[in-house]
Amino acid sequence: MICRNVIKKLYVLFLLGALFSSETIAQKFIGKRLELLTPSVSSQSAITPNDLEDEVWVRSKVNVPNLGNTDNWFWARLDLDPVTEAGLNVEIAYPTIDSLLVFMVCDGVISSIGVAGATVPKSSREQLLGNYPSFPIPVVDCNELTCYIRVWSGKQLLLPVRIEGSRKLLSDGHYRNVFFAIYFGVVIALLLYNLFLYFSVRDKNYFQYVIFIVAVGGTQLVLNGYDRVLDLISSPWWSLRMTHIFGILSGISSILFVRNFLHLKSNAPIYHRIFGWFYIPYLVAGIILCMGYFNVSYDVINVSSLSIILLIPASLKVWRSGDVSAAYFLVGWLFFIIAVVVFALKDFGVFPYNEATLYALPIGSAIELVVLSLALGSRINQLKKDRQRAREKELNTSLLNEKIQIEQNIRLEKSVNERTFELTQINDSLQATLEDLRSTQQQLVQSEKLASIGQLTAGIAHELNNPINFVSSNAQSLKRDFVDVKEIIDLISNIDAESLTLKEDYLAICNKMSDLDIPFTMNEIDELLSGVEEGASRTTEIVRGLRIFSRMDGVETVPANLNELLSSTLIILRSNLKDEADVLIELSDNLPDINCQPGKLNQVFMNIITNAAHATIETELPRTERIVRVRTRLVKDEQKKYIQVEISDNGVGMSEEAISQIFNPFYTTKKVGQGTGLGLSIVKGILEDHNASIEITSKVGDGTTFLLSFPV
Amino acid sequence: MINVLYLDDEEHNLTSFRAAFRRYFKVFVTTEPSEAVRILEDNPIEVVISDQKMPALSGVEFFELIMPDHPNPVRMLLTGHADIDAVIDAINKGHIYKYISKPWNEAELRRLVEEASELYLMRTAQETQVTEYSERLYSAESKLKELMSEFNSSSELSSDSKERYIDKINKILKLMEVPLD
Repeated sequence: MICRNVIKKLYVLFLLGALFSSETIAQKFIGKRLELLTPSVSSQSAITPNDLEDEVWVRSKVNVPNLGNTDNWFWARLDLDPVTEAGLNVEIAYPTIDSLLVFMVCDGVISSIGVAGATVPKSSREQLLGNYPSFPIPVVDCNELTCYIRVWSGKQLLLPVRIEGSRKLLSDGHYRNVFFAIYFGVVIALLLYNLFLYFSVRDKNYFQYVIFIVAVGGTQLVLNGYDRVLDLISSPWWSLRMTHIFGILSGISSILFVRNFLHLKSNAPIYHRIFGWFYIPYLVAGIILCMGYFNVSYDVINVSSLSIILLIPASLKVWRSGDVSAAYFLVGWLFFIIAVVVFALKDFGVFPYNEATLYALPIGSAIELVVLSLALGSRINQLKKDRQRAREKELNTSLLNEKIQIEQNIRLEKSVNERTFELTQINDSLQATLEDLRSTQQQLVQSEKLASIGQLTAGIAHELNNPINFVSSNAQSLKRDFVDVKEIIDLISNIDAESLTLKEDYLAICNKMSDLDIPFTMNEIDELLSGVEEGASRTTEIVRGLRIFSRMDGVETVPANLNELLSSTLIILRSNLKDEADVLIELSDNLPDINCQPGKLNQVFMNIITNAAHATIETELPRTERIVRVRTRLVKDEQKKYIQVEISDNGVGMSEEAISQIFNPFYTTKKVGQGTGLGLSIVKGILEDHNASIEITSKVGDGTTFLLSFPV
Repeated sequence: MINVLYLDDEEHNLTSFRAAFRRYFKVFVTTEPSEAVRILEDNPIEVVISDQKMPALSGVEFFELIMPDHPNPVRMLLTGHADIDAVIDAINKGHIYKYISKPWNEAELRRLVEEASELYLMRTAQETQVTEYSERLYSAESKLKELMSEFNSSSELSSDSKERYIDKINKILKLMEVPLD
């Protein structure tokens, strides 16, 4: 950074110094002694000074006349002092003049002719004292010694002329040579270095740079006339075009290099495109050059080279986006840009022609080449560092990943263990709950059994109340009635057949009978006795029914008749059913006995009949319209016989869903607190024990029919 | 003689009851609730006894039925079903006096009927008294109204007449036995 700034400052100082001292250096050029001929038709075709007649000669106002970049032949005239200046040389310090003819005219007679320039074949080239053409002033005895100069160039044409002794010229040329030798040394060193790097790193950027070095070096070579000094090019066709060619090559190779180095395609696509467009003028210049329009081509190349200024914003942008090597790049190019600008502006006449403007370009380009090499070098470093960093990052990441994985594994294991423990605990508690449920279920089944037994007992008790009442109450009433009757009988038995008061006695008896309302009493006695009979018989029935169901505990089966069982059930339920529904009984006669558990079947019938009666209550029909029908029949189906017990009602009926669920434990359509819901599930169990089937037919609003089939 | 009505759906019960109590009470028996209502209307029944479990309507329902028109007869429920819900209903809805279970104890049942009859007398006597009071109150009220309008309509009254009026008003108030403050 510091280095950069220092170099920059030094260079600028140098330039300024050079520019300001331009006049002192330029003073050795004797441009002001020259008289120039404005090109005219005759001057163009004149070959010798003798051909020039009546031309207008204009004295130059500047030390170094700038004849511009035109296709014209120019004449210049210099009056020499034959005495003081004989033996000296006229040097034209401009190496790129393509065609140069110098006539020494003594008193109107051409004394000597000198030729130089690209158009001159090798064999007739004068020996040069350095890289600038110089022409000896003849030692002749003349009154008037004039030097006529005829020039043409396919490039910018300037005439820095001076008169100097051979020794001075040689030593000046010597210094120049040394300077340029160093310069070319630097160039060659960098060329080889970057070439070597290209072969080892295989980055095409290096190759492009090598080409650029060749172009820049070559341009300097040609611009300073060393191709002619070293006699490198023999063909005039090539020689005339060398400057242009190297100029085009510089332009194209610099665009190529810049675009790739800065990765403009990705970093600053706009600049990439703009630079790409500048290929065209260079190519056009090349084509024009081939066709022989040297000056036009030179102008095009010069103008196009100013495109190099765009490099500054482009590299700034890239630098800002993070590429540090772009900074180096920019610095290097700045030197070159300044140099190129100075060169171009010298040609356009903005800057004077002097050593500063002349040497700016080689110095600038040398510095630039070095800095760009550094830039390329730093780029490699950058890349290396980046790669290193990337690798380190990868390593870190993979280590971190490993660590995370290990941690995760530990955590997973831990949570798996926890889960397993939780699940075991849940399982245990579920087991316990299951046990509880089972025992609760058993209790409920038991209580349902007890409830049914309770219902049975209550039913029986209720049922017995009335018959017992008949017997006990009537017995007492009979006693009273009998007392009345006994009175009469006593009266009768006391009658003496012989007694005189027989008639009165008889009448007394009749009165007594009337008092006691004996006829009524007699009638009552009949009724009471019938009541006693009724009571006694009903009691017997109930007890008999009880006897049948008393075999409740046994697992063994006994033969029994289903008709009897049904009748007993109905007796027990009689008083319950009295205000619930009418029970119509149709029992078939021909039922055989079957092996069964009578107590359990009683539970079955009681359950179903009670449900049927309750269903009729829910319809809210009047009592007399509520019907429960109990029927039995024997059915033959192929080889098998079945006893069917059908219990139907005209109650509210059941929905499809209810039918499907009715045997499920705890399923009930009754309100909470009314019934356990276990009744029918137990019924199903009992029927399964008897190998009997149960079928339900029901429709909501119509009623329900339970059909039980017992195999015989 | 105490008039007793017994409603039961079983003939035998009716026979037993009548045979047991005809010498002590005037016994009316029927199996039909409509018949029972008719008997109530035609006769001054003092005690009404009903069975609970009957096909047409329950005993409690029967009592609910007769209560608006015949609030005075004392109601008793006689049943062989010790259904607690029915008992609660009987007390709360039927407003029965006593609940008797079958088979009945004759002596106890007799005593209960006699007690019930006394209760009936008390009720009816009360009723009569209440009716008397109402009538007296009504006549006193109308007399007072008359006096007030006379008092207001006469433009000039001598102090004597005023005194007489005030006397009469006080007498009426005393009749009504209304506390004056």
